[in-house]
Amino acid sequence: MPQPLSYTLVITGAPWATQAPQTALSFAQALLKAGHRIDRVFLYGDGVHLASALSAPPSDEQHWPRLWSEFLSGNNITAVACIASALRRGIVDKTEQARYELTASNLRAPFEIAGLGEWVEGNLKSNRVLYFHGTH
Amino acid sequence: MTTLIVIDQPPYGSWAGRDALDMTFSLAAFDQPAAMLFLGAGVNWLCKGQAADAVGQKSVAKNLSAAALFGVEQILVDAQACAQYGLEFDDLLPGSTPSESISETLSQFSRVVFAG
Repeated sequence: MPQPLSYTLVITGAPWATQAPQTALSFAQALLKAGHRIDRVFLYGDGVHLASALSAPPSDEQHWPRLWSEFLSGNNITAVACIASALRRGIVDKTEQARYELTASNLRAPFEIAGLGEWVEGNLKSNRVLYFHGTH
Repeated sequence: MTTLIVIDQPPYGSWAGRDALDMTFSLAAFDQPAAMLFLGAGVNWLCKGQAADAVGQKSVAKNLSAAALFGVEQILVDAQACAQYGLEFDDLLPGSTPSESISETLSQFSRVVFAG
């Protein structure tokens, strides 16, 4: 078996607009199966829509935010939505709801909201950083 | 190890380049070496005299001018794409370095990030 590696996965494509969250989930499952480790999943740009607790797709379609949150919780993987991207797109946790005096919060557990510093740390700590854009 | 951030999207039709610029500045803010490459339609980022207020946006050139301040090592620009867009070297923001061979430029960096 090859040497296990640690990964940071960056998702910038939104669910139902691109295949990025789906491809990234399949890749993440394959990584763990092969004995590798995922340090962190970082949602950036439109990718933050994956962290919405309010997505309600038709019942015969895959529910990417739910599938992702189950995968993350089941494997104890940290997942972070970029705060600047999230606030622009209306993805907020209770702290940001209070700060901006908004009427609701909608961040799906176990996602957290934090800055790009988390992505920089991924660059420093992980053996590999992979991007799932959905466009290129 | 220097990270090369590649912007290949035009400055005002897509937000992807701005997100990539934020990534570049974050690396630099955490003292991680970073360089940028403007490719294809992305070369329009470097055009002088942008009137971004006409489309209700902030000028990307103004944001980009902070690159030197942040310690971004290099601003590379696709020379062939400049020719395609009718941009002479004098039309570009100061501090831009033309790259004649993109494949050669990319091969100099082991960490490359494309704008989404």
